Amino acid sequence: MTAFSAAPAPVKGGRRRTPTSRTLALLLILLAATAPAAQERRWVVAFANLTEEPGVTLEGTGFTGREVREGFALAARQWPIDLVFYDNRRDPQQAFANATDAIGRRVNLYIQYHADASTNAAVGSRLRAAGIPVLGINHPVPEAPLYTVDNLAAGRIAGEALAEFGARSWPGRTLVAVIVGNLSAVEDRVPERAQGVTEGLRRRLPTLKIVSLDTQGNPGRVAALLGRVLASQAGSKILVAATDDATALMAKAALETTGRLADGAIVSHGVDRSIHGGMSERKELDPSNRGSIVLGSVAFYLDRYGYEVLPLAVRMLRGESVPARTGTRHKLITAANVFVEYPPYDMQ
Amino acid sequence: MRPAAVVTAVLIVLASATLAFAQTDCTKVVPPSPWGPNDQTGATNRVTPAVTKAAAAEIKEGKVIPMSYPLVDGVPLFGTRFTKTILTATTLAPGAALGENQLTYMEDTWLSQSHVGTHLDGLGHIGRKDCYFNQIAMGKFINQNNMTKLGLEHIKTFATRGVLVDMVKVYQAAGKFKGNAACKKPCLDKGTLITAADIQAGLQMYNATLREGDVLIIHTGWGDLFEQFPAQNATYNSGEPGIGKDAAKWLVSQKIVAVGNDTWGVEVIPGEDPKEAFIVHNILITDNGIHIIENVRTDLMAAEAAASKRSTFFFSMTVPKAVGLTGNFVGIEGIR
Repeated sequence: MTAFSAAPAPVKGGRRRTPTSRTLALLLILLAATAPAAQERRWVVAFANLTEEPGVTLEGTGFTGREVREGFALAARQWPIDLVFYDNRRDPQQAFANATDAIGRRVNLYIQYHADASTNAAVGSRLRAAGIPVLGINHPVPEAPLYTVDNLAAGRIAGEALAEFGARSWPGRTLVAVIVGNLSAVEDRVPERAQGVTEGLRRRLPTLKIVSLDTQGNPGRVAALLGRVLASQAGSKILVAATDDATALMAKAALETTGRLADGAIVSHGVDRSIHGGMSERKELDPSNRGSIVLGSVAFYLDRYGYEVLPLAVRMLRGESVPARTGTRHKLITAANVFVEYPPYDMQ
Repeated sequence: MRPAAVVTAVLIVLASATLAFAQTDCTKVVPPSPWGPNDQTGATNRVTPAVTKAAAAEIKEGKVIPMSYPLVDGVPLFGTRFTKTILTATTLAPGAALGENQLTYMEDTWLSQSHVGTHLDGLGHIGRKDCYFNQIAMGKFINQNNMTKLGLEHIKTFATRGVLVDMVKVYQAAGKFKGNAACKKPCLDKGTLITAADIQAGLQMYNATLREGDVLIIHTGWGDLFEQFPAQNATYNSGEPGIGKDAAKWLVSQKIVAVGNDTWGVEVIPGEDPKEAFIVHNILITDNGIHIIENVRTDLMAAEAAASKRSTFFFSMTVPKAVGLTGNFVGIEGIR
């Protein structure tokens, strides 16, 4: 109805319309008819998560698969997107089954978060054959754009911050650096993170002694491991790079219980809920806790993947080009900027 | 570090520390009030005698619908807020009654934060940096006890027209309703983003339009969790359905005086952008002097509207002339 009302009214006196005016009228009709449809265009996007097993954390941080999923659900509110969620369960067969189901549903785009390279290659190939574009998260899917963490860069940020603090606060003192965390977690690329920390530290303090402590994924081991270092370094100042926030808090506790709080500084990785939080929760990173020896944590933003990945997905769906690789913009979150970057979660 | 570098670093640290405490040029941060540079009244300037008179036409049966929740121990409170009453009843003790008429009396001490229960957010409640409504640099107008500008005493009456939109019905009608299992009656789930289009659909549902000076009340159903206190307090406070930025901007264009709903913050939580804090509060209160009313009891009026297909009513709200306060517990009645 609207389309016809937009067309020019018949001209009195029997004057014939020129071809140009006819063309224009036709164009107007077409535009009016198609514009609302274009506005209403919605896409179905599938997100196959790495794993949503309760309590299991991802990428060597404190974030869970559920938090990643919730981030997608929240971010999707701003886009003409209906999400279909899958759980890959870190299982190749499940990942295949999920992709098959998505092909059956004729989703418009598939976001694959799965660690196994051969599975990703096969899943990507099947989806492409079905005409469904793919976007990979953290682990490449051949010929698909990738959104990924940059462990090396994140580690460098942490290392540089620690070295800077050590050099500034304790000039002339013996400094020892400790890299502590799940250092053998190759699948989570924690060794890359540790390598980045080493590079960051050495950039500022080339001769710094660096000790690596592998908790093998159990932050409960931090006290014993770090305790031995502290005992052997009685007169030294200790720069602790924790590979995740839980480890950082355990390291702080270890320094506290050994009476060495004044001798330590800690920088962490992740910025999960254990280190910031709600308005009325105790937060390690808090403007009112600027004296903490936990100087900060390098943000990994797994809870905000949806806000980063869905805009890429929309660009792909609109036929626009996207970079082959988009990296997480890691940033050091401290007491000074935590409320800007992570307002208390019950206020945002 | 070389001496020059040390001096530079120290200067940078000092400069940034100074900046953090420097007074902001509020003319660059907050728009001016349309009611002039001295205005501390904000959107209630719109409640003129003509507006109140027109609103009175909504009273057709004299039926009064309560729209405030009782304030009682155990109701959900945001963050660390508290409210507590202490009763003084000494004259009930034997022999303490006064005079031959045996007069006794009781009084209360109400020890409470102001933003509890069904309450109004005043113009001094929310700012951007140190800048508040009408470009007021609030740092200059506070003391230990209260604000010396933008207090509740400056607000005009809320004797105006109320318009209810039933967002539960809007979402059900649109086939996009997603509830929360903890609600006994239908409620929108937390995080549900109410848009301008949703509000317009809600108005259309009962053939209503907004006019200057109105108060908009949105029924989300989330208040059902408030009524289940204390059992569902954690769920109630864990987030909420609410309006987003585009809805707030549209409401500004409609020149309303306040928007309220049956949630603790009126705006959608989690918000649209995780790096923004209570951004709708900024848009409405800080930038436009439009009040927010939280924890409004909306279910009774929603039922009235559904039964009568009329969503408008006379909005009667009492705001104490509490000098220098940022907000207060309010009593609201919708009269039909």
